[in-house]
Amino acid sequence: MDTPLIAARDLSVHYPLRGALFGPRPVVRAVDAVNISVPRGSFFGLVGESGSGKTTFGRALLRAAPISAGDIIYDDGEVRYQVERLGSRDLKGYRSRAQMIFQDPYAALSPRMTVRDIIAEPLEVMGLTRTREETDERVRDIAARCRLNLEHLRRFPHAFSGGQRQRISIARALVSRPRFVVADEAVAALDVSIQADVLNLLRSLQQEMGLTFLFISHDLSVVAHTCDHVTVLYLGRVMESAPTRELFAAPRHPYTRALLSAIPSLDPDDRGNAQMLEGEIPSPTDPPSGCKFHTRCPHAEARCRREEPALSQVAGAHEVACLRWRELDGAVPVAPVRQPADGTTPT
Amino acid sequence: MTRLLEVDNLTLQFDTDEGRITAVEKMSYSLDASQVMGLVGESGSGKLVSAKSLMQLNARNAVYDPQTRIILHLDGGPVDVMTLKSAHDQKLVRGGAISMIFQEPMASFAPALTIGDQMVEQLRLHAEMSPARAREISIEMLDRVGISVPAKRFSQYAFELSGGMRQRAMIAMALSTRPKLLIADEPTTALDVTIQAQVLALMKDLVADFGMAIIFITHDLGVIAQTADTVAVMYLGRLVEQGPVRELIHNPAHPYTRGLLAALPNLHDLDSELVPVAGDIPSPLERPRGCVFHTRCPVARAGQCDRVVPPFTQLASGHRVSCHLASSEAVNT
Amino acid sequence: MNAAAARGPAIDQKRKEAYFTASQGQLIWARFKQQKAAMAGALVLATLILSGFFAPFLTPYDPTIAGRDKSYQNGAPQIPKFWDENGFSARPFIYSYERSRSIATNFRWVTQVRRDQRRYLSFLPEGDSYTFLGMKFNHHLFGVNRGQIHLFGTDSTGKDIFSRNFHAINTSLAVGTIGVLIAFVMALIIGGVSGFYGGWIDSILQMITDAIRTVPAIPLFMALAAFIPDVWSAEMRFFFISTILGLIGWPTLARRVRTHLLTERNQEYVLAARLCGASPGHIIRRHLLPSFTSYIIVDLVISFPYMVLSETALSFIGLGLKDPVNSLGVMLQNVTDADVLLNYQWYFIPVIFFITLVLAFVFVGDGLRDAADPYSETRK
Repeated sequence: MDTPLIAARDLSVHYPLRGALFGPRPVVRAVDAVNISVPRGSFFGLVGESGSGKTTFGRALLRAAPISAGDIIYDDGEVRYQVERLGSRDLKGYRSRAQMIFQDPYAALSPRMTVRDIIAEPLEVMGLTRTREETDERVRDIAARCRLNLEHLRRFPHAFSGGQRQRISIARALVSRPRFVVADEAVAALDVSIQADVLNLLRSLQQEMGLTFLFISHDLSVVAHTCDHVTVLYLGRVMESAPTRELFAAPRHPYTRALLSAIPSLDPDDRGNAQMLEGEIPSPTDPPSGCKFHTRCPHAEARCRREEPALSQVAGAHEVACLRWRELDGAVPVAPVRQPADGTTPT
Repeated sequence: MTRLLEVDNLTLQFDTDEGRITAVEKMSYSLDASQVMGLVGESGSGKLVSAKSLMQLNARNAVYDPQTRIILHLDGGPVDVMTLKSAHDQKLVRGGAISMIFQEPMASFAPALTIGDQMVEQLRLHAEMSPARAREISIEMLDRVGISVPAKRFSQYAFELSGGMRQRAMIAMALSTRPKLLIADEPTTALDVTIQAQVLALMKDLVADFGMAIIFITHDLGVIAQTADTVAVMYLGRLVEQGPVRELIHNPAHPYTRGLLAALPNLHDLDSELVPVAGDIPSPLERPRGCVFHTRCPVARAGQCDRVVPPFTQLASGHRVSCHLASSEAVNT
Repeated sequence: MNAAAARGPAIDQKRKEAYFTASQGQLIWARFKQQKAAMAGALVLATLILSGFFAPFLTPYDPTIAGRDKSYQNGAPQIPKFWDENGFSARPFIYSYERSRSIATNFRWVTQVRRDQRRYLSFLPEGDSYTFLGMKFNHHLFGVNRGQIHLFGTDSTGKDIFSRNFHAINTSLAVGTIGVLIAFVMALIIGGVSGFYGGWIDSILQMITDAIRTVPAIPLFMALAAFIPDVWSAEMRFFFISTILGLIGWPTLARRVRTHLLTERNQEYVLAARLCGASPGHIIRRHLLPSFTSYIIVDLVISFPYMVLSETALSFIGLGLKDPVNSLGVMLQNVTDADVLLNYQWYFIPVIFFITLVLAFVFVGDGLRDAADPYSETRK
């Protein structure tokens, strides 16, 4: 099956802000002409720092963020949807196939509903079951798969820890048997010892239920372990995209390299930072011209300020958006560009 | 290495509606000048409140055990922080000899005052100096932490600075009084990883320059590995393992520490399984008897681990662990 | 040695399970019980409400003109005694009194107490008939074997203040209830739509709300009072006043509802519901409304005394209820006379009851407010 399950083409999400009294209204370009294809059955990682647009992208795929331009095509072999154009009837169908798991386990569950009701809600709202027995049956089924104690179904969310609440969240997302699940920082708020548990659960559920995950995270190590493919976003644009092993073994984009070297290593003796990025992340309302990364890139040249790189193919599924990627293969940075800490662009 | 801090039998409980909750139990450790200690633990471990005890910053319903002693070795001699009762006396440890930086820099700065105002206030609270001199020192500190155009930033408000810069400004503010000990509560958790790298490098730099000790509270073992000299691992209010960072990471002795390390995704070995620590962290209202970790421990021994609190066993130099199995292993070797 | 550490699990399994399966209402009640002032207030409130509800039975006489005692007007309170110079009596008694006039008193009516004639208290006597819950009864809790007993004295026409007092409590509570209900329904609708949709709907509705808030109450009532036709019965007048109070009281409540909705609708659990395709109605009903029911209840309880006091004030100045409908305000209509202030202080006894009622509401409301946030502490 070569058709991706969901593919975004030149997708843009721009939010207008309340601007100054005079002059043009500033626009937050949260997602800017992004091309991403998620293959069926994959555990697809989407990483980035603040302002990268990864959360907005995930929400846009589910029509929970306004789409300004571009399209999204969903094709699971049974139906094919142009997501950005769905009318209310088809939207209902889409909703039962695409769901989301949220970051904050404390804000994601309605505090005044029992766990059973929380998990059952998608079934009831979408009318997927006819009788109460059927609903209960499916709730019990998914709760068991998510390793929730069936006795716990009568309880309210305040009875549970972060990890358990996240499992309830997962059960709710999966009860409608979707094909596509966006996990938006699903483990970021959990303790480390629980993270592993939830990640393993997601992997096993993927196998059991034939799901496709879009795993959004800022934590590269977690992504490295669980995802089969990773896309790196910066300021709303794709910088690099590759199968996980390749990305971590041989990153091509200077941003990816800097990201990887910034991760604190667990080995106390490994204390040299190959490339430290100077400066701050620019604001998404006022992104740099040309290549969005050029203000902090140790390899930036004059043309990087003028020209915006398109995604070029490195090998197979490995793509990179950098004007100089060929030359930079193993190159030592030219003079690291000293950026003032306040993020202003040097002349 | 001069001894800076000795914490002896720190036991801290909170009086709540649900009863008396034990947050920290019999925690003892010591810290030398210029040493960086990483304090690792998850939720409910008590790492934050134990550090706040050093500055007597806990809430009013905090109850300390009378045997708790916290000795700070200052130029004028040793001071037991527990004896500082009045706000005037406590000024010594609040911003004076001990300073603290927090996780959320936006929450640490008053939104309606400029950064400069707050830094000057901090300085003048702890030392006699004129506003002009305080301003001078503040701008110097801002420069030292890598903020460009420090004079301009001095007159700006917190919301005008980016996250990384705010964190730097907070470090500058905390360090302006030249404390002997800096407590850093998850200072980089809320920052992007590229900014985190910058801030960590800055902190290491400052340690060398200022000769101060740091207690670095975090749940991120990677950050600890890169910045700490010694590590203390806490679980549900007890110190379970402590040792030099290399020792601890390469030879973890406590099952919890091992569990933490096994649960961490390791970039060097992408094929390895992520092994979670079984079970959930018990609620502080239901602290397990005996060893606090026994309910989740893969090698717990019934009859011993669920009844008796394990004593500390000394392993290699400076490495000690509180575990029945580790102590019997040590006896056997 | 630390006793807490040696004790092990602090709560037994049953209590834990009860805590885990406790709904919001149960949690609030559990916290509420811990507050002494609030519980005391609740007890007092319950007592007063019940006494108002059962007023026709508890009080001996009809509170209107029909039940008046012509022979004991502006009479002082009569305290039942067990003992006097004529001997001890197991049954409590009061004295008889006689009205007479003669040339000696300049032909003015004078009331004389006859200490030799006793009137004994009786329990469950038959007296004036009344309708309660649609059925007619005529037993009262107590009475005397001859004449009438006035525990709180009488007013200028001879109406028993004790009876009027408790009927007045009932009336005021009824007015308050209707007013609060109307205010609540309107606040829910307007505040709800405003908060849920935001945008221009919100702006317009807020302008309307603010406009209504600025309307001054007294001139409004004066204007309305002028419009009320005289032919309206007392009951109609009663409902009218209640409705008006409700219509003026909703803006504050509406604002609270709106603010709360504006925050909650951005929470992730709402987004999760949206992503299932839930309709706005469903989201409001199942997610948003329950999330602030506790706050709204607090607001309702606290706005009750304001309604009661507003009605009192209006009736006092003659713009509200009138005879034969009885409320505190109506009872106080005649107290501005210097004669009353100097000589007939018992007219003010009902005031004590009302102060107690309002205070009880306030204590209960405060207690509820403290108890009503059961979920804030479970966040890490």
